[in-house]
Amino acid sequence: MRARAVLAWSAACLVIVLSTTNPAYRGLVLAAAVAVVVAGVGLTRARPLLVAAATLAASTAVLNLVSAHVGADVLVALPAWLPAIGGPYTAEALVYGLSAGITLATALLAVAPISLLLEPSEVVDALPGALARTGAAVAAALNLVPSLAASFTAVVEAQRLRGWRPRGPAAWAAVVVPVVLSAIEDSIQLAEAMEARAFGSGPRTRLRGPGLGWEDRLVVGAAAAAVALFLAARALGEVAEWDPYPFLSPPSLAPVPAVACLALALPSWPWRSRASTA
Amino acid sequence: MALARVDRLTYWYPGADRPALAGVELEIEAGLTVVAGPSGGGKSTLLRLFNGLVPHFHGGRLAGRAVVAGLDVASTPTRRLAREVGFVFQDPELQTVRGLVAQEVAFGPENLAVPERDLPGRVDEALEAVGMGALRERRVRTLSGGERQRLALAAALAVRPRLVVLDEPTSQLDRDGSRRLVAICRDLARGGRAVVVAEHRLESLLPAARRVVLVEGGRVTVHHDPRAAAAGLPSPPAIVRLGLQLGWSPLPLTPEEAPPLRLRAGGGEPSRSPGPEGWALREVSVGPAGRAVLEGVDLAGGAGEVVVLMGPNGGGKSTLLRLLAGALRPLAGRVERRPGRVAYLPQNPTVLLHRPTVRDEVRFTLERAGDPEPPEVILERLGLLEVAGSYPRDLSTGQRQRAALAAVLPGSPALALLDEPTRGMDGEARAALRALLAELRGRGTAIVLATHDADLAAEVGDRVVRVGEGVARDLGPPALALSGDAEFATQIGQLCPGGPVTVEGVLQRWAAAAPAERAGG
Repeated sequence: MRARAVLAWSAACLVIVLSTTNPAYRGLVLAAAVAVVVAGVGLTRARPLLVAAATLAASTAVLNLVSAHVGADVLVALPAWLPAIGGPYTAEALVYGLSAGITLATALLAVAPISLLLEPSEVVDALPGALARTGAAVAAALNLVPSLAASFTAVVEAQRLRGWRPRGPAAWAAVVVPVVLSAIEDSIQLAEAMEARAFGSGPRTRLRGPGLGWEDRLVVGAAAAAVALFLAARALGEVAEWDPYPFLSPPSLAPVPAVACLALALPSWPWRSRASTA
Repeated sequence: MALARVDRLTYWYPGADRPALAGVELEIEAGLTVVAGPSGGGKSTLLRLFNGLVPHFHGGRLAGRAVVAGLDVASTPTRRLAREVGFVFQDPELQTVRGLVAQEVAFGPENLAVPERDLPGRVDEALEAVGMGALRERRVRTLSGGERQRLALAAALAVRPRLVVLDEPTSQLDRDGSRRLVAICRDLARGGRAVVVAEHRLESLLPAARRVVLVEGGRVTVHHDPRAAAAGLPSPPAIVRLGLQLGWSPLPLTPEEAPPLRLRAGGGEPSRSPGPEGWALREVSVGPAGRAVLEGVDLAGGAGEVVVLMGPNGGGKSTLLRLLAGALRPLAGRVERRPGRVAYLPQNPTVLLHRPTVRDEVRFTLERAGDPEPPEVILERLGLLEVAGSYPRDLSTGQRQRAALAAVLPGSPALALLDEPTRGMDGEARAALRALLAELRGRGTAIVLATHDADLAAEVGDRVVRVGEGVARDLGPPALALSGDAEFATQIGQLCPGGPVTVEGVLQRWAAAAPAERAGG
């Protein structure tokens, strides 16, 4: 089951990127995540996501720059009496914001394969058994999401051909009413279908999926090793923390934790362009 | 003892003052039971009684008694009845719960806590029964509609039910998909299982039926002889209709059972001279998301001409309609349209209804088109004047379908595009559609419709185009395209190759033929 491998990799990325303040390691994890996402779904499908991640990082940096106003290297200063934006703008604040932005971008890309490479029901199936019943209901409901999106497009198209134009909030009733009502009808139908198949009868058994393939084991192993290595290095003081305030300094990089971060790029080989064959 | 027995049963939906089922007496045993009747007559309600969705899921009030596999329906929850009754719903997309085929099939047995070591065997057995053993590891999303519906049947079979119930299972499927599903139902019934199928189009089910249950206005009549039942159907298959008209006895249920019909070749309806060109596609390549599903399409249709698109689902019929509607741009080539309004009837058009009244729905379209015709014109033609002031979603299924036709196709559009308009329609709604198409055609509207319904194509079409496998191929007029052993041949077309393809066509020739010729069998 590939879902467990994907979840393991995502978790590893998140743990490492959140357990250090050092932007060098954060950057390495980001690079690994970019490599995996691009390899996994191809550049065309990955592009909007990469743009979103870059925007997220950049806006975090800018936000910190205009709001922090601390640090020694003043780039430019606005008069202090200006509300909200007044005060010194420092290189430290910019770099610190950028480092935080890298973390957010990494987190985004780390969870992206869960939705890009997996069906909702596969994710749910990878959850522990205790959640199986709730999970089945959630997965069934998620199955309706694509049909909801398709129904929205279809209704807009059909109403347009009846002369409808999206002018003003009131006009949207022509689309929203049909979409919402048919979504309700669809969910009732789905609930009926689940009921007819004895859902909610009590304790249920589970069809075992095929076990993890060797590629999946490799990914899970690499993710676990990366986390173990990084956390061990951190416990031994190998992972230098970093703080730009009050004076900007370059982050230091040690070989062992760096290797741990780079190991996260490994799935880019077994997951290469899975999307095109799915 | 009967597998299912219904005794003086009357059922009211919550808040309804008229019962949906009234005084039902019925026994179901092994073999194929066909449930027929008009939309909104109570077919679905009756089917849902067998697994207790009525009354447990839908609520309402029940009088009388229903016993299925020895269990009293009124006091047994659906999840218990689910052990004995497998249920397949109309829409394949709205009954799949899981992502992978094997998981989907296992869902029922899992819920019934079938031991884990037995689950793989159950899955394989059920998939084999529907001919999908090879698709075990596939993702549900990647299956065709026909495969998804067979998957739903496999999922129902996986609990090893004693009774299998299918509610209009082929209404969303293409010709191959529905043929395969019907063949499996027939095999299951022949193998001794009790199978109950509700359908509007009965041509392939009727010959295999052991009993026919007619549900109309909540009242149920049971026939143990499909031939006797066929005569009383509200919308019988074409061959039955012809047999009734010509007084054939015994009544044929398939073209093979009919006596030979010798009609002079040729003659027939003179081909009408096509009007000025209404639309044209020149060397067009088209497909969603930049990927061409059709290439090199060269087609044109005249004003007042009805072009029928047929072919497998996913072959590009809807894509061509959306292209003509202007909702999709061609990847290559040119689309030409006579100026004027385009009317577009999507699949499931009833969802478009959103105004407070039926009249408002029609006015909405006419006003935006700048068409001065009053809404009453089309409402009267479709028999909707009485409900013009009603909320569309309060109407019966059949009325709602006609309201959708009225909402989309009023006035005089230059081009009318219809995507599977007869899906889920009963005989009455079909008749309304045919009348409306005749009217539009008389007004010079160029019409393009996509359908799996060969009878509709024969009745209203001027030309049939096969869309699939990347190309659109003109098969010519229905008399050619739907005759003999052609892919989409109608029952009548199979009966008299080279002759008429509709019941009306035969009757016209019959009336015109010399009595001596009629006898020449």
